[in-house]
Amino acid sequence: MAPASHALSARKLLARDWRGGELGVLLTALILAVGIVVGISAFVARLQTALEQESLRFLAADLVVSSRTEPPETWAEQAGGLDLATASTLAFPSMVFADNDAMHLASVKAVTDTYPLRGELRHSATPYGELATARSVPAPGEVWLAPRLFALLGVDTGDTVSVGEAGFIVSGALRAEPDAAGSMFSYGPRLMMNMVDIPATGVVQPGSRVNHRLLLGGNNDALTEFTDWIKPRLDQGQRLLGLEDSQPRINQTLDRARGFLLLAGSLAVVLAAAAIALAARRFSERHADYVAVMKSLGASTGYISRLYASSLFLLGVLATVLGCAVGWLIQAGFFMAFADQLPVTPGSSGISPYGVGAATALVCLGFFAWPPLRRLSQVPPLRVLRRSSESMGAQRPLDYVLSALAMVGLMLWYSGDVALTGGVVLGVAITVGVGFLLAKGLLRGSRKAGMRAGSVWRLALAGLQRRSNSSALQMVIFAIAIMLLLVLTIIRTSLFDQWQAQLPPGTPNHFVINVAPEERSDFAAFLATENISRERLYPMTRGRVMAVNEEALAERDSVDSDRRQRESNFTWSESVPEGNALIAGSWWSPGTSESLVSLEQDFAESIGAVLGDRLSLRIGADSLVVTVASIRTLDWQSMKPNFFMVFPREVLEGYPSMFMTSFFLPEGQKLALNTLVKEFPTVTVIELDLVIKEIRGIIDQVGVAIEMVLGVIVLAGALVLVAGVQASVDVRIRESALLRALGARKGLLLGALWIEFTVLGLMSGLLAVLGAEAAAALLQARALDLSYSPSYAVWPLGLAIGGGVIGIVGVWSCRRVASSAPLTVLREV
Amino acid sequence: MIKVDNLRKQVMVADGELEILRGINLEIKSGQTAAIVGVSGSGKSTLLGLLAGLDVASSGEVWIDGVGLSDLDEDARAALRASKVGFVFQSFQLLPALTALENVMLPLELAGAEDAARRATEFLHRVGLEARLGHYPNLMSGGEQQRVAIARAFAARPALLFADEPTGNLDGATGTKIVELLFDLNRSEGTTLVLVTHDEGLAARCDRVFTMFNGELSEG
Repeated sequence: MAPASHALSARKLLARDWRGGELGVLLTALILAVGIVVGISAFVARLQTALEQESLRFLAADLVVSSRTEPPETWAEQAGGLDLATASTLAFPSMVFADNDAMHLASVKAVTDTYPLRGELRHSATPYGELATARSVPAPGEVWLAPRLFALLGVDTGDTVSVGEAGFIVSGALRAEPDAAGSMFSYGPRLMMNMVDIPATGVVQPGSRVNHRLLLGGNNDALTEFTDWIKPRLDQGQRLLGLEDSQPRINQTLDRARGFLLLAGSLAVVLAAAAIALAARRFSERHADYVAVMKSLGASTGYISRLYASSLFLLGVLATVLGCAVGWLIQAGFFMAFADQLPVTPGSSGISPYGVGAATALVCLGFFAWPPLRRLSQVPPLRVLRRSSESMGAQRPLDYVLSALAMVGLMLWYSGDVALTGGVVLGVAITVGVGFLLAKGLLRGSRKAGMRAGSVWRLALAGLQRRSNSSALQMVIFAIAIMLLLVLTIIRTSLFDQWQAQLPPGTPNHFVINVAPEERSDFAAFLATENISRERLYPMTRGRVMAVNEEALAERDSVDSDRRQRESNFTWSESVPEGNALIAGSWWSPGTSESLVSLEQDFAESIGAVLGDRLSLRIGADSLVVTVASIRTLDWQSMKPNFFMVFPREVLEGYPSMFMTSFFLPEGQKLALNTLVKEFPTVTVIELDLVIKEIRGIIDQVGVAIEMVLGVIVLAGALVLVAGVQASVDVRIRESALLRALGARKGLLLGALWIEFTVLGLMSGLLAVLGAEAAAALLQARALDLSYSPSYAVWPLGLAIGGGVIGIVGVWSCRRVASSAPLTVLREV
Repeated sequence: MIKVDNLRKQVMVADGELEILRGINLEIKSGQTAAIVGVSGSGKSTLLGLLAGLDVASSGEVWIDGVGLSDLDEDARAALRASKVGFVFQSFQLLPALTALENVMLPLELAGAEDAARRATEFLHRVGLEARLGHYPNLMSGGEQQRVAIARAFAARPALLFADEPTGNLDGATGTKIVELLFDLNRSEGTTLVLVTHDEGLAARCDRVFTMFNGELSEG
């Protein structure tokens, strides 16, 4: 036969099947599988680019070269040649003088007009006045001061201050700069000026302790080229700062959300694959007669295989195209829902999500739809004479193994997370393995119960028991679908709870550092008077780690080593600080005078220290050696004072220290900060209310995205239920039609169908609940870093979905039995 | 046209081997019509399946136009059916997803005919269903469905036509009309016809009548 006639027949076959309504579930399941995968991949890819940009805000650039000396002109020229945008900053400590003779040490930062390349500057006309985004940097001859510098110098907007030999007009208050992190604890309050004014001040001389930064922004290729070019040219005291050096605050939140979305996507693929397998099985069963007739009319096995393979190929192409369109709509919908809240515009997703979608279609078709269709070519032509004589060969165990492997491979590839995939596989394995045995047991038990019940029950339960193998299989498939829905519900709930718990109303939104020991009680009293609740006051001593086990660490600006000296804030505490968790070692007993220290996990890694190591420290002019007694993790998003290094009280108390705390200030009370900096001029206030608001906004919007994904997953789950019910509808309709022909009342038949499907559904719900608890426990503990507790709330939900939905879908699918003449039904099936 | 030599068929059942056909010998010449009659379970349909190459014998041989079926694999037998054999079944065996026209076109398409639609339409005219080309089987009466099946059987112009209880699912009057149609077409197309039936009236219209009894075949 000519190949052209194959293509023609494959197309016709599909068209005819479409008219006959046999392709609906199969095509929908395929489109849904592709659509969900594309939608979520594209969403996550775009979110990733947004996240990276968000992180880069904290550098104010894509890449930064930091230098103690003025960078050579050639650096900027090279950057310009590569079409990279550039900006320069220069930071140094300097005394600032006011006309009233007041003076204070400030941390001066001079910037060029293009600063910042990423993120934005925020300022206000007066200290703590109404906040605005700055469209430019301070004009030449003008400066912006940190709010507390106004109080320290006793100046207002419009007054004059001088730095070195130059005088400047104070034109506003600097409230936020993207790359402020790291400079908050040093030198004192910020003064920002224009770079062109630097020569006039005369304060920057060769050998001055200054920090030059060349900020670069542009596309990745150019940045990589620049990085390769500059690396060999860096001297002592010059460093490259990239993405890993920035300090994103919202990554953990978004990372968890991303994990959840990928999990949801994987589950959706499992569900869609199950629906595809069921639909393909039914499709092939319904086509067995078709094939037998074609064979009796002379079609060869090769022809049948080619015909169904090309049909499947056409179906795959159609589903991929439509699925990609659906996926594009899904991700566009997500971003439409929360574009306003994202701090940066998400980039393009690229074409790879669509490739992932096409690969999903290929795997689903090859491993789930093709095995039952391939068996069609084995249908014996004799079936036209004796329908029951032989049917298709049984599905090979190898097919099941390959399908399972394909599924696991797809999930692994898609989520890129072994623990996540493992959790889902475990849950599914428990549901399938234990479930199948339990299902048969439950069915046998229900049959015994049915013997003693009325005729409706006996009829229904006998039906289930008679088809116990296929009923058990159906039950397990329903259970998997319900289980996956429940897992998502459980995890979504605990994710939301955790987010809520992380930033409850009243979370501290301001940090205060540099409270002098003698100011402690006055400061506490001030906050009490203003009705502001605060965390405890932590002592804070500035110190530096010089050596680990007597092995000296490299200079801070060294380019040769990753392990450098680290300057940090030390504190003391007699108990594990709130929100910290020990992961190694033990806490000291209160009152100890042993020279011990507790390190934060990442900090310990950065200096290469482990439990029991000796650290040589320098505090001011003093040296001391301490032993690492414990390693801690802490939650950086708690907005409470957190410390890398904690000591016993006795060890640190003798050193000079300042105190810090954090407190919650409602929006309306913002001006209280003016009074605070006037009364305590040496205190530094760090405003985090904007960051918290940003995090809250993102959490809310990610929540919306998650709800939307859940909606799509519910659709996939419903599809599995429909496909599963349909798989057994033909035989049920035939039996019911026979019973009707024998005189059974409509009510009896419908009653029996209700009972049959509801019992099946309730048993599936029970299995699902057990599987869901097991999977959720593993996923929460291992993959999503959440704490596990049993979710009793999902038990009634699982049973309700099982009994209710399967009952309704089942009876609805078989409704023709009651409404059409039995002869019509018998003739059709 | 058909020659059968010592054809046997055994199947394994729970309590041992069951012999369905016990050494059948038969020869039907081109253009002849032959009926196989017998009680239920006598082995008529099994014999029909073997003659048409739908099933494989335990031993013995069937030749169609001189080609021994036991030498052919399933695909070669399918090719032989496509070129020489047509079927009419008791239960019609129309494909429910296809219209009357598409059902008749199916064997023509399988044989790679380019004018499948034209020829199928012509045969549907000949069985009097020109007004129902686009109708699906579930909208047709039993008699109409069997007429579509007859059109399908003749459309590919087979040399050999097998009919399995062609009137078995039809009432008396409709059955008679179908028989008339079958024999009319058979005569005009010059087809060799082998039919299995319970209906003695139908059998009597054939050139030859064979009786199956307990797995053995005798003529007359």
